[in-house]
Amino acid sequence: MKKRILAGILAASMVGALLTGCGKGASQGTEAAPAQGTEEAAEAAPAAETQEEDATERAQANEIVIGIAQDLDQSLDPHYAVAAGTKEVMFNVFEGLVKYDSNGDTIPAVASEVEVSDDGLVYTFTLRDGVKFHNGDTVDLDDVIYSIQRCKDDPKVNPQTSTGLQCIASLEKDGDNKLVMTLTEPNTELMSLLTLAIIPADYDQQDTAPVGTGPYKYVSRTAQESVELEKFADYWGTPANIDKVTYKINEKAEGLIMGLESGALDLVSHLSSTQVAELNKDNFNIEQGTMNLVQALYLNNEVAPFDNELVRQALCYAIDRQGILDMAFDGYGFLIGSNVFPAFTKYFDDSLTNYYTLETPEAGKEKAKELLAEAGYPDGFDMTITVPSNYTPHCDTAEVIAEQLKEVGINATLNKVEWETWVSDTYAGRNFQSTVIGLTADPLTARSLLERFTTGQRVEDEEGNRGNNFINYNNEEYDALFEQAIKTYDDEEQTKIYKEMEKNLTEHAASVYIQDMADMVAVRKGLTGLTFYPLYVLDVSTLKWE
Amino acid sequence: MKYVVRRILALIITMIMVSFLAFAAFHIISGDPARAILGMNATEKQLAILRQEMGLDKPFLVQYINWLFGFFTGNLGVSYSYRQPVAALIMPKLKVTLLMVLISFVIIIICSLPLGLRAAQKSGGRLDWLRTTIVQLCMAVPAFFLSILVSYIFGIIFKFFTPGDFPKIEKDLAGAVRYLFFAAVCIAIPRIAMAVRMLKSTIIEEMEKDYVRTAISRGNDRAEVLKKHVLKNSLVPTITFLGQTMAEIVGGSIVVEQVFGVPGMGRFLVASISNRDYPVVEALVVILAFWVILSGTLADLINQKIDPRLKLGGRA
Amino acid sequence: MKKHKWNGYLIAGVIITTIIVLWILIGRFYTPYPPTKMSAAKLQGPSLAHLFGTDKFGRDIFSRVMQGSGTTLFIAALTIVIGAGIGTIVGAMTGYFGGIVDEVLMRLNDALTAFPSILLALVIISILGPGKYNVIIALGIVFIPSYARMMRTAFASQREVNYIISARLMGASSPRILMMHMLPNTMHVLLPALTIGFNNAVLAEASMSFLGIGVTPPDVSMGYMLSEAQGMFRSAPWYALSVGGVIALLVFGISLIGEGMQKMNKEVD
Repeated sequence: MKKRILAGILAASMVGALLTGCGKGASQGTEAAPAQGTEEAAEAAPAAETQEEDATERAQANEIVIGIAQDLDQSLDPHYAVAAGTKEVMFNVFEGLVKYDSNGDTIPAVASEVEVSDDGLVYTFTLRDGVKFHNGDTVDLDDVIYSIQRCKDDPKVNPQTSTGLQCIASLEKDGDNKLVMTLTEPNTELMSLLTLAIIPADYDQQDTAPVGTGPYKYVSRTAQESVELEKFADYWGTPANIDKVTYKINEKAEGLIMGLESGALDLVSHLSSTQVAELNKDNFNIEQGTMNLVQALYLNNEVAPFDNELVRQALCYAIDRQGILDMAFDGYGFLIGSNVFPAFTKYFDDSLTNYYTLETPEAGKEKAKELLAEAGYPDGFDMTITVPSNYTPHCDTAEVIAEQLKEVGINATLNKVEWETWVSDTYAGRNFQSTVIGLTADPLTARSLLERFTTGQRVEDEEGNRGNNFINYNNEEYDALFEQAIKTYDDEEQTKIYKEMEKNLTEHAASVYIQDMADMVAVRKGLTGLTFYPLYVLDVSTLKWE
Repeated sequence: MKYVVRRILALIITMIMVSFLAFAAFHIISGDPARAILGMNATEKQLAILRQEMGLDKPFLVQYINWLFGFFTGNLGVSYSYRQPVAALIMPKLKVTLLMVLISFVIIIICSLPLGLRAAQKSGGRLDWLRTTIVQLCMAVPAFFLSILVSYIFGIIFKFFTPGDFPKIEKDLAGAVRYLFFAAVCIAIPRIAMAVRMLKSTIIEEMEKDYVRTAISRGNDRAEVLKKHVLKNSLVPTITFLGQTMAEIVGGSIVVEQVFGVPGMGRFLVASISNRDYPVVEALVVILAFWVILSGTLADLINQKIDPRLKLGGRA
Repeated sequence: MKKHKWNGYLIAGVIITTIIVLWILIGRFYTPYPPTKMSAAKLQGPSLAHLFGTDKFGRDIFSRVMQGSGTTLFIAALTIVIGAGIGTIVGAMTGYFGGIVDEVLMRLNDALTAFPSILLALVIISILGPGKYNVIIALGIVFIPSYARMMRTAFASQREVNYIISARLMGASSPRILMMHMLPNTMHVLLPALTIGFNNAVLAEASMSFLGIGVTPPDVSMGYMLSEAQGMFRSAPWYALSVGGVIALLVFGISLIGEGMQKMNKEVD
């Protein structure tokens, strides 16, 4: 039997060889096949060799293949798309009047110039000459007005964007290339909002065949397989280097790693240190940036025992954040103390980072026990941490937290749920005790990070909406600060108030703020020019093969 | 003929039941498709608009009847996640999975028949325990683990194929077949082990029957008896088993497709379930159910042809 | 009286399984390290201190396998109790009574069989939430149809047997006939099927963990560990190998018992 099985395997591999043989004949330039014959030649060499061959081939054709974990949204319309993953890809296709540079500042894009009146109420944009859409049309003022108006009025647009744009009183043409925007009140965050994509007026297929002005144009997508972009030859600015970009979708991280190893993929971002350890470093450079999100153990402030501030503070003391970084992230990551991530330097207040950190983790545990006793839980309690199961880093974090909390008598169990369930039950339904998640800023404004903890976002509005205050944070002082902040038009003054708000969150231990996660990107050797942004995007236009 | 008609009728009834069960399941499952699409910042107004667009504001039974009506008129609806007709979306996936299942089926037949016969002949021999052990071990490996091993060994080390780079069937059929071959092997191995085990015990059982003993004791050649009678009589359980195999390898393909990154039906099904893309899931469920029932029905019909004495009531 | 003779398979199977069960029982009371205790010694290869090495959180894999195989055994055992239990009841009803009950239940059974089992599991888990007990319920339900069909045939084949007919004529009640006369005669079919079902349950649990709908920490099962280990195949091969080895051994021991029982039945006949 053993012999037979061996024979069977041999027969099977012969069939395999036969198939590969056919493959060689029929398919032009499949490079995997020749490697077979010479596989005994050297132990380590073949792997590197074929990988290089695959890559060289792509380098010569000036193409790259990027691995992503999620498929894009149902709608590719930039104003409707919601998933971070979709924006990450479409960043290369669309631009606004202004766009972000790698520092997170806004720089002119479709507009070549902006003038702001002294009172901050009138903005005059000069349209850049000869900016073309991917369909060949030239961008005119009608397109710009249409795009802004649509983001302001269309109920299907992200409410954070449309609410922000409500301050626009009028949009008027001044000649052929000037747009005069009048506001009802000054808005310091307007420029961030105006990164909204400029799209052709009255083009009704944005959903499936998006058209923008960016360095790459959209070519096609295949559901759950791939998305293809192509260099836009008529781009107004610095042209992109790579001619063709293919995104391949694989929802399993192991699949992405395997794809890198086999030579099928050239670049994958958002890897963890454990995954990076699986890669053969001879073929890849690992570049490290930040994810630009606030990872925290978010506590539902309305549910016992987290309605008690002392308990929340006890958790802040009990959880050893550096320990989490060491344990689950191999030490990579950036500690935070409030709801702002470090890359957002303008608002990040580093003095809050170690607000609850004592000399040693043990001292923290002691302090936590004291606070728990004071709060009436001398023996601890049981709690549940809800985590979306598809996000391994959050699951790992929760697992480490549960283990740490054991030492202060708190018995935490994990509740792993599907992402969709998390969105509807945990986030929208607020039916949870605590959860580990990372929140991003979209648009990149302090308001989008901090408004979510106000009472306005906690209770239902007249349309029955409950805003984004999913942790039910309830603090009058915080609400007052926010009111003050949005009425303050002096940038410096406003920044100060926003920082006050951050401090408020920390002092009242709204949640246990942990870190901004490190973003590891595996880039095939020979591919250079990767640029990090303080946003969740991947700029393909700067990449090039050497 | 009447029998065939009855089976087809049963098939249709079962499929309607399956589609209803699936539909009902989605209404109990947590997670709202509109929210799945609009994400964390969705407002009630946005949700209401989208639900209306997708017909989700209608009562459950109305939705189901609409779907059923669409199905019988050849309209599978429009995918929530892709805004494309479901039929157009799943056709390419269907092709990939069918090809993979076909390859897998061929491997199973090619390997298991000779191995099973051999195992039966050598039963009771000195190495019997070793054969049994190997067979049992092959059945004890989880499919995803086997898939990882195979893609690591044959993909990364030996470079027989490039994991993660599945060529389009239309463009490079040979390349696609080569890629799928390895995935198919992972589906096939546990089934081959089961087939060997089943064949062995069926043949031995048959060999021990009185008529065979009599035939051999009357001086007929053992091999001749085996060929003439035993194999013929083992055919019925074998075909039943192959029917089951046809049905089960499709289910087994789900996990394997995930690991190999094969853009087939199983992977699309799992993704669509998490996206709450019900029109797609509903269509896939019906196709899968059809496949399963068809496999069983075909096996039964063939068996009846072979041995008309078999009066199979319902699905025995 | 026919004599049941033990054969080599049965003996080997019982020995292997007993050792594993003992090992698991010890794990209930004593493990070398607390199974969830994390340490800085992450992803260490096997050593005297850590026989199977450590995982990504520096936990002792040996201790975790001791605990995890217990969970797996528990899940698999309860799954077949539910699956085979309800399956037997359904099979008995349909096989013995026939008619409309048979028709309706078997159609429903067909529908359940034709329903992709992974989808069934996903739906059940998404309704009940994740966790050990819900995995058992989900798998139990998934396993019912195959047992029901098998037991239906086993019961139906006895319906017209002489002694059953005479029992019926003597006025024995249906439940009594089913329980006392028919059920014992189905054991030679049921018992080997239980061992196969057990192994399928172990593998199904592993697949569920792989798809992210298995047990949740601090619980740990073999499937959970294996799906974690396969992502670290290159940097920590011992993890996958030791977990995979123990799963294989567990499944192997049980299947030997199944094999042995079948052989024994044959010898008895």
